[in-house]
Amino acid sequence: MSTIPTVRQHLLLMFVAVLLATAVSSASSAAEWASLKGRFVFDGDAPEPATITADKDVAVCGKYKLVNEELVVSDGKGLANVVIFVRSKKVSVHPDLEDGSKADAMLLDNKDCRFEPHIGFVQTGQTLTIKNSDPVGHNSNIATMKNAPSNSLIPSNGSTDVVFGRDEAIPATVTCNIHPWMKAYLVIRPNPYGAVSAADGSFEIENLPVGEELEFQLWHEKGGYLDAFTLDGKKTKAKRGRIDLTVKSGGTDLGDIVIAGKVFQ
Amino acid sequence: MEYLTVNTLSVESGTCTRPSKLWEDFARAGCGRSRPGKTRAFSDAGEGETGDSRRLLRTTGQMTGLRGPSHGRDCRPATTGWWAGVLASLMLPLLGTGCGQTAAASYRLNLVESAKQQLKPEQEQQVANILAALFGTPDEPFAPAECGLDEAKLKLAAGPVRSDIVGRKNGLYREHCAHCHGVTGDGMGPTAAFLNPYPRDYRPGVFKFKSTERADKPTHADLVMVLRNGLAGSSMPSFALLSDAKIESLAEYVKYLSMRGEVELALMRAFFELDDEDQGKLPEDRDFLIDEIVMPVAESWQAAEDALIDVPEMPADIDMAASIAKGKELFYGNKANCVKCHGVTGLGDGQVNDYDDWNKVVVQAYKTVEGSLEQAGETSTWNMDADEAAEHRAELAWLDRYQRVLDGNALPPRTIRPRNLREGVYRGGMRPLDLYYRIHAGINGAPMPAAKGTVPPEDIWHIVNYIRSLPYDFNGTLGVDRPMMARDRL
Repeated sequence: MSTIPTVRQHLLLMFVAVLLATAVSSASSAAEWASLKGRFVFDGDAPEPATITADKDVAVCGKYKLVNEELVVSDGKGLANVVIFVRSKKVSVHPDLEDGSKADAMLLDNKDCRFEPHIGFVQTGQTLTIKNSDPVGHNSNIATMKNAPSNSLIPSNGSTDVVFGRDEAIPATVTCNIHPWMKAYLVIRPNPYGAVSAADGSFEIENLPVGEELEFQLWHEKGGYLDAFTLDGKKTKAKRGRIDLTVKSGGTDLGDIVIAGKVFQ
Repeated sequence: MEYLTVNTLSVESGTCTRPSKLWEDFARAGCGRSRPGKTRAFSDAGEGETGDSRRLLRTTGQMTGLRGPSHGRDCRPATTGWWAGVLASLMLPLLGTGCGQTAAASYRLNLVESAKQQLKPEQEQQVANILAALFGTPDEPFAPAECGLDEAKLKLAAGPVRSDIVGRKNGLYREHCAHCHGVTGDGMGPTAAFLNPYPRDYRPGVFKFKSTERADKPTHADLVMVLRNGLAGSSMPSFALLSDAKIESLAEYVKYLSMRGEVELALMRAFFELDDEDQGKLPEDRDFLIDEIVMPVAESWQAAEDALIDVPEMPADIDMAASIAKGKELFYGNKANCVKCHGVTGLGDGQVNDYDDWNKVVVQAYKTVEGSLEQAGETSTWNMDADEAAEHRAELAWLDRYQRVLDGNALPPRTIRPRNLREGVYRGGMRPLDLYYRIHAGINGAPMPAAKGTVPPEDIWHIVNYIRSLPYDFNGTLGVDRPMMARDRL
């Protein structure tokens, strides 16, 4: 008898190896965690944001320079308020971050007759605190698809807490019915893996499982799902803003993700 | 032929092929670009089909008609779609004659949501099949056991108006409700376009006037109360002349249509949201379907029965004049902020540009379509490669369909008016308790926010007392001498 394994044994071994590999990768804790970084860049001439004239509570809201925040581009062409989140249902979540109720509360402030931040990221179970720092009363009408709708009055210096039990596939709108120009969005996800790009266009999602291929989704208020951009100098298509990425050991920096200005017309 | 299946027009397969044939001829004669291949499903539904396969075929027939907006260029201008629908309904008796049998009713698919989620024709078909398997048809409704609905009650309300036992009438929903609320419960019955406010579309499962918290469903008793009392100031009449059993049966049927509509919405969103693997389970795996889609809906309805708002009684020895004065202060104050929408005069003229949630869906959909069409119009196509050009065409085709679906399947959006508080007419009831509910929980689906947590219960009672004093407030301090004149001023 030969000691060299037959082809069949080879296949069997490989099969076992594959099984083991899958078992390991689908376990809830990956061996290593790292972050995904990048920066969204607006390619073109960004239009001046339209001014909003406050027609309610003019004595207070009229004092602030209110603008339409649908498209915010910094001097360095950084594109703010781009949402990027993990869409895959199967994703290993860092054990410390699994339970949203343990996370710090996410704060949504009614300040200067606008919402701060304009787009927020909340994990299911995490507390959302809606605050009113203005001298006038507001209400925050959250239009969700799966979660119970909520619309509370929030008096001056008051606050209210909301917890979402279910995730939402598309960002939920928050509006104030008293001041119709006020609008914010909430990205409600079942895990902590998402970010909203900062004023300079940069974002970072921390503690992602290393080596796991994950489907991310990119969304922008004006541009919708971002399905075409330049990544790593290459033209990239992402149907409905979906793109597969794998975070490397030590972290992955995507660099500049350039989006043509015409997407936002 | 986007209106081939306006509520009652879809023809039951296997029993009478003649109406569909007639309709087909009519359609051909009328429309230069009719699609024989597509319309054939009506007459193709073979005779002698029974059981599930028959149900499926009926759905297929329905689907074929519904697919109109996506493929066929209708010969009618899209904007006349609504009228064409009314016309089609009127023609129904003509089509039915000669066969000695009226056509069976079928449910209308939620095309606005389907277009929004960009469902493919086969996915629409899947949604229709799943719904038929879970909820039956307007003539033979049933529901998954998880929904906890009483099928005997449903039976009394369902089907065409008819009588099998002397003195007992079936088909109550179509006798009393369908002309406004539609066979599907989509608020798009033949008279809907002429009413203001529009009849309620049950499908999102949102009801305004109830004794539960804002986000909760109404209780069964809440629905019964609306049926019994009607909604003052709207076109919803009182059905107090109907027996308790009949009202019970109609309330159950409204819940059934609502759950069905919610499941439909959830299904359509699931095709967008679920991973491909889970999408595949939707039509195949009944347990998955029940757990993921049906249960959340059923549970929310069952939870409502225990979610009553806890109302502390108004103190019997309350000083009414002082309470009204305090209520007035709260009305204009920063905390309750009623004045912002109901106006300085209380005439409901403070915020007149807002929409309720049902109309907002349509407003936003039009915004999407018009915005995207404008953008597409400015896009130059000459330097696109084949893939990009194909994508561009697909996008245009979708927008085109979306626009026609909206033109033909949604009523023109209307703004919502905050209640004029000087008339003393309140939709959800005039008892102090009803007003307490409205202020405490806000009004689901409408811009009215909840005072719960912000305004303490005793203050809510003060506001109730102030509001109830407003119709009798003739002092003219606000330049409003009489409510009658106040109405003229608007």
